[in-house]
Amino acid sequence: MTYEHYLEGVPVILTVATTGGVRGKEANPNVPEQPEEIAAQVRECEKLGAAVVHVHGRDEHGENDAGRLQAVDDAIRDRCEDIVIQNTTGGQAPYEERVRGIRTDPPPEMASLDLGPFKRGQHIITEHTRHNIDSLATEMQERGIKPEMEVFNGGQLQEVHRLADEGLVTEPYYVNLIFGGRSFTIPTPRNVLGMVADLPPNTQFNVLATGRHQLPLTTLSVLLGGHVRVGLEDNHYLERGRPATSNAELVARSAAIIEHLGRDLATPAEARERLGIY
Amino acid sequence: MSCPYLEYRTTDGDREFDAERAYCLVADRFVSPMKADVCNERFEFAYDEHCELYARHEGGRVQ
Repeated sequence: MTYEHYLEGVPVILTVATTGGVRGKEANPNVPEQPEEIAAQVRECEKLGAAVVHVHGRDEHGENDAGRLQAVDDAIRDRCEDIVIQNTTGGQAPYEERVRGIRTDPPPEMASLDLGPFKRGQHIITEHTRHNIDSLATEMQERGIKPEMEVFNGGQLQEVHRLADEGLVTEPYYVNLIFGGRSFTIPTPRNVLGMVADLPPNTQFNVLATGRHQLPLTTLSVLLGGHVRVGLEDNHYLERGRPATSNAELVARSAAIIEHLGRDLATPAEARERLGIY
Repeated sequence: MSCPYLEYRTTDGDREFDAERAYCLVADRFVSPMKADVCNERFEFAYDEHCELYARHEGGRVQ
């Protein structure tokens, strides 16, 4: 995808990441954690133009629990019209936990596929060996789940090319380029341009940037013909010193920017078509 | 086994939550979901090896 796609007005797939696995209500009380409150926020985001929701499961204490993905998916399906569900397979839990994200019933239409580790604190590192990546990719293919390949830093772009070369992912490839924090690609416009330039042909890309980088770098993605992910998983603030009151607040702002920049928001059906989800 | 400085509570005196959340008595604040895995020794984590706050509080060093 390129600037030409921006000029052509190719619709933007807006993904909302409502919850995540890193922080919760202790950081912003508006982060939804339980199935019904997640689903309620997702519905508001769907009405504003979000086509995809990235889903994490939390237990009754707000802690990570892949076993709750089923309940969250069910609640979203009950409350929403058509939004595409993308379950996480990421995080610091071992493979046996993470694979639960693609074993819900029915399976999600999409799932994240982390292409490498990232660090938290002094001792936490997510376990994403090449063996685990390939196992998840294979099972996603078998189940008809579209992977969103999560690229936390530049070296992991090599994994995108490798998976494509080995036929473990299917065209069009979908890549989430991640910027910010202390573990991800350094969040600069130059690095966004560089990462986009190194994507394989026939790749759709999405930009995720944490904290104060969410607004400028996702806007840059719109100009580069890419897609956008926003939400409280990645950023708790609407602006400096002002916590976001909901995921919808962040989605509404991005939807307005996308429209002001002359691109339409993809409906869930259009997102499926563009990503090759059948 | 869980960290001896871990408690589950609904309030820190300033904020109140509907459900009990992990609270660190050393830091005197609620714990993030990711860090709570260390506090609760889930997966391969051990609080006495992997928690910087515990080590500092006990007069040790982070491993």
